[in-house]
Amino acid sequence: MRSRLVIVLVIAVGLLIPSRLVAHHGSAAFDTGKRVTLKGTVKEWVYSNPHCLLSLDVAGEDGKLVQWIAEGQAPNVIFPVGYRKDSFKAGDQVTVTVEPVKNGRPMGRILQAVLADGKTLGAASSPPSATSAAPQP
Amino acid sequence: MLNPISVLTVGLFVAALGLPVDTFAQNSSPGGWLTPDWDKRPITDANRKPAPRRSLAGTWGPAEGPGAGTQAGGVQLKPNNGRPENQLPYTPAGLELYRSHKALEGIDAVLPAQDNDPRNRCEPLGVPRSNHYNIRLTQIFQDEYKVVMLYHYDNRWRVIWTDGRELPKVVEAGVEIAGEVRERRFSGYSVGRWIDDYTFEVQTVGTMPEDRVWLDSTGRPISDQARVTETFRRVDNDTLVWSETISDPKLYARPWDTMKLQLRLHDPRTDIMEYYCSPSEQENYNKLFGNAAGGKGAP
Repeated sequence: MRSRLVIVLVIAVGLLIPSRLVAHHGSAAFDTGKRVTLKGTVKEWVYSNPHCLLSLDVAGEDGKLVQWIAEGQAPNVIFPVGYRKDSFKAGDQVTVTVEPVKNGRPMGRILQAVLADGKTLGAASSPPSATSAAPQP
Repeated sequence: MLNPISVLTVGLFVAALGLPVDTFAQNSSPGGWLTPDWDKRPITDANRKPAPRRSLAGTWGPAEGPGAGTQAGGVQLKPNNGRPENQLPYTPAGLELYRSHKALEGIDAVLPAQDNDPRNRCEPLGVPRSNHYNIRLTQIFQDEYKVVMLYHYDNRWRVIWTDGRELPKVVEAGVEIAGEVRERRFSGYSVGRWIDDYTFEVQTVGTMPEDRVWLDSTGRPISDQARVTETFRRVDNDTLVWSETISDPKLYARPWDTMKLQLRLHDPRTDIMEYYCSPSEQENYNKLFGNAAGGKGAP
């Protein structure tokens, strides 16, 4: 049986990770540059400050379910990216790419989400700036 | 004699004709609740409108986009990334204080289990940190006596007096006003004046001591001896440039510039989502994610 958990380790610079993340936990907890793609079933979507949290059950290599928690920034931060209070519903089948935490727990922050309806949303953080260095009048 | 109601009606009608109705026409509003529009057309000579005289009023957002004012990695002009050009002119006391701060961001960031950022207890950020934390949509109102700024994060507000009152004198226990010692405040005591019709300068003193507030999210310090100078320059109708200089002889050997943030005018009808720091929500987040994500060891 094909594993539903696909782990992609990428040591790369310049992935989809925005340069202006802001967090209540900082960036030190995350394994920068690493990506894990999760296919699973939504258990809960908490649309709340200081961070939104998505719980989902993901089948591991051995077939056992592992509960992952993926976080996004605060609702007002991820609203412009398209995340809404009803973006995820319990029972939805979704694919979420996260940057995992360093300590090996099944946790990470959302870099991309493919919703149950097939819609793809980007990193659940501040959208990148229109320009990296707009001229200052 | 003219009927006042008729005069008012005609006046409003004439005024409405003069409004730049196309300015915000592109903003869709499902159900009438306008969401922020972050995809505005650039200001060019073709669509540039002159700045109104002596006015900062409006809803303003970073011109480069919603993430351009977060300053997560440190104040805008001096990100705390270890580069020589971003080193700050600390006094010995300032450097010692910085090293005692355990921040979640910047070159010296620690794991959440080790941090001591007062923000994570939902303490008020105060001035000037409010200027360096998640500047997204900022509302500014003014009348003949004052300018009021409504910050997005934690729904905080601040008054800048423009009625000619003097800036209080900083003293050991706080500030002195007419011979009385008054308390320190998170937002301090701010007075503003128009340098010219399009440039507004604000001075702030009397802010909280260094054991209560930080300057930015990377743990740079600020003390109650600080004097914060802000300049708001209305470049045109849709553009405001917000600059800040810190003078704090207790912690920094010389004044230095922290930010020069370009803002873009948004539709005044924009509905701004709440962005509170709620202790109970913070606790719930830590229980579900923060503590485990920031802890040590394998699962």
